[in-house]
Amino acid sequence: MKDTLRWAYALNQWNIRMDVFVRHEDQRRALKTCSALGFHHVELAAGTGRWDNLGRPEVIELNHGGPAGFLDFLHGCSVHGVSSMYWDPGQPAEEEGWAFRSTRNRDDHAAIVESAKPFADFLAAIGTEQLVVRPAGSAWLQPPLGADDVKTIGEVWNAVGKVAAAAGVGVALHYDCLSAVHSADEVGQLLAATDPALVGFALDTAELTIGGIDPVAFYAGHADRVTHVHLKDTRYADTGEEYRMPGAETTMLRGGAGRRIERWFFELGTEGGLVDVKAFVATLREHDYPGWVVVESDHGGNPAELAMLNSWYLQHELGVAKS
Amino acid sequence: MAWTKWSYMDHWVTETPQGPQPPSFNRDHMDRYVKQLSALGFRGFDTFFFYLPILAGLYGSVKAFEEYLQDNGFDKITGIFSAYPYATEYTAPHVSETHDRIVADCQATIRAVEGLSVENFIVMPSTTYFQVEPVTDEKIKIMADLWNRVGRLTLEHGMRTTCHFEFWGAIRTREQLDLFFSYTDPQYVYFFCDTAQHTIAGVDPIQMFRDYRDRCTGFHFKDTHTVDTHEAYRTPPDPELMAPQVTRWFHEMGTDGGLVDFPALIREIVTSGYDGWLTVEHDKAELDGGSYAEATCVAKWYIDNVLAEAQALADQGAAR
Repeated sequence: MKDTLRWAYALNQWNIRMDVFVRHEDQRRALKTCSALGFHHVELAAGTGRWDNLGRPEVIELNHGGPAGFLDFLHGCSVHGVSSMYWDPGQPAEEEGWAFRSTRNRDDHAAIVESAKPFADFLAAIGTEQLVVRPAGSAWLQPPLGADDVKTIGEVWNAVGKVAAAAGVGVALHYDCLSAVHSADEVGQLLAATDPALVGFALDTAELTIGGIDPVAFYAGHADRVTHVHLKDTRYADTGEEYRMPGAETTMLRGGAGRRIERWFFELGTEGGLVDVKAFVATLREHDYPGWVVVESDHGGNPAELAMLNSWYLQHELGVAKS
Repeated sequence: MAWTKWSYMDHWVTETPQGPQPPSFNRDHMDRYVKQLSALGFRGFDTFFFYLPILAGLYGSVKAFEEYLQDNGFDKITGIFSAYPYATEYTAPHVSETHDRIVADCQATIRAVEGLSVENFIVMPSTTYFQVEPVTDEKIKIMADLWNRVGRLTLEHGMRTTCHFEFWGAIRTREQLDLFFSYTDPQYVYFFCDTAQHTIAGVDPIQMFRDYRDRCTGFHFKDTHTVDTHEAYRTPPDPELMAPQVTRWFHEMGTDGGLVDFPALIREIVTSGYDGWLTVEHDKAELDGGSYAEATCVAKWYIDNVLAEAQALADQGAAR
């Protein structure tokens, strides 16, 4: 099917623990897996330390000598480039002194903008279009958003967007189901608080669904702001506000408490999936969506098996020819 | 044009709620497995004879399973693998008295795929070397007699009996291979080239293909890092998984240290005019923490990139 969609695959599913996705040969095997399945661009995820060696510009450069060397590494696996990189400024990094930063704290804004610069510069150097960011931390870790908080959060992303735009990279705010910016109304407020010329929205179909927001309707209502997509499915919605549980990263997303759901994210076409993937992709096509669609398995099982199933779904159910 | 007749030999293991199991664990896992292979573009499916009743149970019939394959872009079931790796008083290819039983078993397998268009009836011509020792001309002749008989039978049902040799089998050296083929009827008994098995046994698979091109009906494209220099092949009770010196014999194409020259082989295949199936096989891919899924993807990447380039060069040479 001829359309504007560009497909990529997220590498985060391979990096399930700090010490398992480190050797270049292991990374090559993941890249070749994506390539053999028709995904010739990948999304990286920011991290920290010597073993997260696809997670920070300076560590990537240490491993590959620089942007050109890194691109050679990708090209050697028939992967043409990096579509995007996910970054959460609230995730402390060894390279930044393990500083705890919050986008709703104006005192942290300058440091957040500063820490974004190397990412933007590196992504520009390797031809990557999007820096995908977590706009706010988990809801359970902070008081409810006040009247001024969304505005404050918007300010820092406008500033990051300005820095990234200067480098030629877009910034997309990624919704996740644990985020303090949680409801459709709050997301709308955040989008209103950011400059459309500098800041877009990264729509994650499963995360929105878990958060109680219909991704098809949301896209239709905000098509002009959606600059990035994560495509994955889920079998559950957070109907009991489990995202507010202390330690929701484990109590909710790993089934430590609440309904004890140990796996929330699933491959496309999963039985009982709540995301209407076909309708969503049809909507993207109707709007000639120009950005990347990153298929993501997000720690759901054997990475290669899930990538194969996702590729099958694209080819057989979405009419995407394998390139 | 890139080679499209790639099939997959079924050794797969996947994670299930009951631990790592073959995908025939249940219908859902089997469906997922087929889709996974389909996503990579495989068009042929090879499996073991002992999976046929399981597949019939899962899908209603083997034919219905084949239709499911076809719904997912496959052409068909291309090969059935039948084997007697361990000699018993009932079945041992080098013992004539067991031949009637083996032929009866083969007839049962033939019945299981009746009405399909399976091309290769793949057999291990012998059991373990140590159970046949000393390997004499006479024993090789007895084994050849068996497969001549089976070959005639399968041909009547549209399948060619094709011999797949193991590094630990009783027919393993070049001299033994040549003797075996000299005793078999080219009309009934064919050659199946497993690149890793021959390499481990110290036999050049490319030369074997070159010399038996007219009788070759298929390949297992798999690699090895080790030639058996310790006589593991004759070490009881089992050289394949229990050899003290080597814990993993087989690797997918494209790993560091691989001994098989696959680009040279594909050039030889193209130049020869062979137009049959090429089969990817992963045997014990889960050893060392590997996964069948990733091994299969990496192997297909190697096909789509390294072998495609080698094939293109060979095509250009053939065109000139």
